[in-house]
Amino acid sequence: MNNTKDIFTAGLWEDNPVFRQMLGLCITLAITNKVANGLTMGVAVFFVLTASSFIVSLLGDSVPRRVRIPVFMLVIATFVTLVYMFLRAFFMPLSQALGAYVGLIITNCVILGRLESFSSENTPWDSVVDAAGVASGFGLALIAMSVVRELLGFGSLFGVQVLGSGWTPWVSMILAPGGFLVLGLLIWVQRAISPVEEG
Amino acid sequence: MNRLERLMSDISSYTEDNPYLQHITEVIDTVRSIVFEPGVSADKSPFLRDYIEIKRYMFAVVLAVAPAALASIYFYGWRALAMIVVSYVAGGIAEVTFTLIRKEEITEGFLVTGILFPLTLPPNTPLWMVAVGIIVGVILGKEVFGGTGYNIFNPALVGRVFLTTTFPVATSSEWLIPMTGGWAGFKQFSVDTVTSATPLGVFANSGTLAPLRDLFFGNIPGCLGESSALLVLAGGIFMILARIIDWRVPVSYLGSVFLYSALGTYLWPNQVAPPVFQLLAGGLLFGAIYMATDPVSSPTTKEAKWVYGVFLGVMTVSIRAFSGYPEGVTYSILLMNMFAPLFDEMVMTFRYGPIQKPYK
Repeated sequence: MNNTKDIFTAGLWEDNPVFRQMLGLCITLAITNKVANGLTMGVAVFFVLTASSFIVSLLGDSVPRRVRIPVFMLVIATFVTLVYMFLRAFFMPLSQALGAYVGLIITNCVILGRLESFSSENTPWDSVVDAAGVASGFGLALIAMSVVRELLGFGSLFGVQVLGSGWTPWVSMILAPGGFLVLGLLIWVQRAISPVEEG
Repeated sequence: MNRLERLMSDISSYTEDNPYLQHITEVIDTVRSIVFEPGVSADKSPFLRDYIEIKRYMFAVVLAVAPAALASIYFYGWRALAMIVVSYVAGGIAEVTFTLIRKEEITEGFLVTGILFPLTLPPNTPLWMVAVGIIVGVILGKEVFGGTGYNIFNPALVGRVFLTTTFPVATSSEWLIPMTGGWAGFKQFSVDTVTSATPLGVFANSGTLAPLRDLFFGNIPGCLGESSALLVLAGGIFMILARIIDWRVPVSYLGSVFLYSALGTYLWPNQVAPPVFQLLAGGLLFGAIYMATDPVSSPTTKEAKWVYGVFLGVMTVSIRAFSGYPEGVTYSILLMNMFAPLFDEMVMTFRYGPIQKPYK
């Protein structure tokens, strides 16, 4: 796994955090009822993950094993706070729509998982590429889910009515059951395209 | 069973002798061979051992539900038939697509789902919603689990529950008042008289009970198939006599509803309706007879069937009385479907000791 392109595409598709690793599902299910929310969360996670991956890879062996998790959390929390304040300052409606979920990026297993399993043991360049790939995969999953859910649930994309005013909203798509259904169906699609190797 | 078989053969020989009825003998015999083994024994080859297989089973269920389906046309006009046709076509396409992709045989299981599903819907459900519901029911209720015989949940109810959560306004707030007298719905395409509540809804809101006679014969707003308790019961008795369904599930289900609501109406008269009303109103009979007895999603062992039925009754009355929903049959059956394998395993463990798992 030294090839930059391999590292990136693994995170984006073959080891996609949502469809393959089943991580970060809480956020995925909660905020994907609108494309704007999905996109914002994708960008926020992208920033937090690449930045904290870079910092953690620089720290390398200087952090004692026993306190590594608190140190990782501190790094993540710093960048999440930055994102949170940025959204509050410039994108108030989005910040309100996402509610507590921006703060909860800190506890997102996708991020902690990458820091623990990859960044802390690899070079800064590889770590950033890996983080970018995984975060793009996460964003891809969020956007795919929110496109389906907003289209069916509201008949719109980015709040613009695209299916006509006569569209009957599919109420369950906006609610939790729709999240689970669409997630299951997209996992099905992803696995149909590139089957899991049993082993 | 024997009595029914004898009756059928009597009808058949009677029509054979009668010059006016001769040409319907064929029809009677077809019906007979669908439900029972043919009464004649072969003396020349080919010798085939005949037994009740999935195809015959499914045809018998369709036959048993036919009176309720005809009644829905009588009550609500030809639109009811349109709903059944849409359900068969849309669901059939979904089913065939999957069997083609999987290169399997097309099974007859869909014949039952395709007719039971529209009968659980309100009479003015838009036709495209019927199509969406049956496709979701077939794919998410059955095919994703591996097809007929592998589904955990009743596919028709999966489709129904998807529609009621996805389109709550269209599927649970508008009901039609059925037509009665003369040819009623056979002369019309649809009914225009709209009402806001079913007898269960009326009871939940105001505590008023609909007359039992109307509930029994079908002069009440509700879903297509549940209108007439009489015809649903007739279908159920036919299936029990022909051993298509096991009597334990409906008897324990209806029995526990009766006992629980008799006790409940004494303790909480404002919330729990009296027992006979509970039995006749809403989808209880339809669910107990056609849905809870689904051979795939209900338990297999006798003891488990009793437990399953009792829990169904408790769940249904509880949801009707103490939740925001006036009706709870669909949710009860889907919830208890989940427990069916567990009940079976408990019975087997109790009888034969711990089950050896093929895996660790």
